Amino acid sequence: MPLLELEAVHAGYGPTTVLHGISLSIPEGGIVSLLGANGAGKTTTLRAITSGVRWSGDIRFSGRSLKRMHTEDVVRAGIAHVPEGRGILTELTVDENLKLGAHLRSDGAQVRKDYDRVFEYFPVLKERRKLSASTLSGGEQQMLAVARALLMRPRLMLLDEPSLGLAPIVVRAIFEIIRTINQTDHVAILLVEQNARLALEMSSDAYVLEVGRVAVSGASADLRGNESVRRSYLGY
Amino acid sequence: MQEFMQQVVSGIASGGVFASLALALVLIYNAMGLVNFAQGEMAMFATFIAFTLVDHGLSYWIAFPLTLVIAFAGGVLIQRIVIRPVERAPVLTLVIITLGLATLVNGAAGFLWGYIPRAFSSPFPVSTISIGGVVASLQDLGVIGVSAAVLVLIYLLLQHTTIGLSMRAAAHHPEASRLLGVRTSWMLALGWGLASAVGAVSGIMVAPVLLLEPNMMQSIIIYAFAAAVLGGIESPLGAVIGGVIVGVTVNLAGAYLPFVGGDLRLAVGLAIIVVVLILKPNGLLGRPSVRRV
Repeated sequence: MPLLELEAVHAGYGPTTVLHGISLSIPEGGIVSLLGANGAGKTTTLRAITSGVRWSGDIRFSGRSLKRMHTEDVVRAGIAHVPEGRGILTELTVDENLKLGAHLRSDGAQVRKDYDRVFEYFPVLKERRKLSASTLSGGEQQMLAVARALLMRPRLMLLDEPSLGLAPIVVRAIFEIIRTINQTDHVAILLVEQNARLALEMSSDAYVLEVGRVAVSGASADLRGNESVRRSYLGY
Repeated sequence: MQEFMQQVVSGIASGGVFASLALALVLIYNAMGLVNFAQGEMAMFATFIAFTLVDHGLSYWIAFPLTLVIAFAGGVLIQRIVIRPVERAPVLTLVIITLGLATLVNGAAGFLWGYIPRAFSSPFPVSTISIGGVVASLQDLGVIGVSAAVLVLIYLLLQHTTIGLSMRAAAHHPEASRLLGVRTSWMLALGWGLASAVGAVSGIMVAPVLLLEPNMMQSIIIYAFAAAVLGGIESPLGAVIGGVIVGVTVNLAGAYLPFVGGDLRLAVGLAIIVVVLILKPNGLLGRPSVRRV
């Protein structure tokens, strides 16, 4: 059974339909990328999963339908969503942001270990613990978002364009850690990316969206090797 | 000089009352960008509940916390029943609703307890003590002590507990908080409960001075607005500082400016609002609002 399954999902904002029947699935512990041009519906797909937008069709997490569930309950079921714009609480400190990641957990000892790990991955966050999150650079905010998602101990992470606006070297570092998290914690990842080359390197499978529909899907390696797919949909 | 200091002490006592109500306004403003015009009336209603409890033979120090619990529950209920259905309505709609709520609560209090002013007994003895030559009434010191204790408790709750952290997160970033599993709607209800309880403190503290009747809080709420605006309507600490400054200013103006006397104190409060809004619209501790266009 796949960990997450979308079946003919339609979604939109008010009278505008953005997703016209998306179906996809993510295996337990896998990395799947969701590609496509601006406006293809990548972000809306993630928002549908965590009930940030009204949807019809069916979305099942671990075999259980997420229909009519509130965002906070979807999250509590084990899905961490790092949204477009990173969702950093800029009114709060770095530490408070991390605390909110772990605030639902009761396994105190393990939480402390996870803190140590987070600070090992991103030492800069340890240095800035007491500072307002608004003082962080874009790259540091993205690190904070990933660190916070790790502290949530999810079974699935939804990452919306983690590379957006960051220097290539920072992107490399963050993707390296995302891969590490995936391997050590067995967390499945649904990765939305504009940078298709990078995403296809990371993921085992990929879906390419075009105006709200799945245009192409398959093993990432196959998509990477298929020149016509690369040219027509991925732009490289 | 001594008399001046005495006026300052009783100004700080009034300031504690204003600060509590101002803090209630700030809590709700932070949570939903709305000034709750019914805050004063809710505090008055809670004070009547305290009055009734004491009237039925409960000791003051049992009635007081019990009233805060009832006020808390009342605030939560009002949010759930009255505010929640219109949560996403334009802010003007919400303003009208809180104004309507103020009228409703005021009328209900009049209906239940009548409009004849009642003496509300003070738990503090009617005597004075002298500290370093400054004579202060125990009533004033008691009010200062209780207000300070409540404000410190609220501070600890908001800054040093997980629930306080969730409340602040939900207030400033509802969408992002939901994605972290915070039940924002309930946090909002908690905010209303907390505001209602803090407001009740101001009502109970001021009732022995003013006599209890349904319109008791109508001048206090103006001072509380002045305090909140002066401190910066988004800042809890600002509300407290603003409350003390307004309390002392109004008291000194009443005592030393012959044309103000007892009658024009309220005008001083209103003048503070106008001057702050003209000269420093974000208040002492508020941040300028930056909006991306």
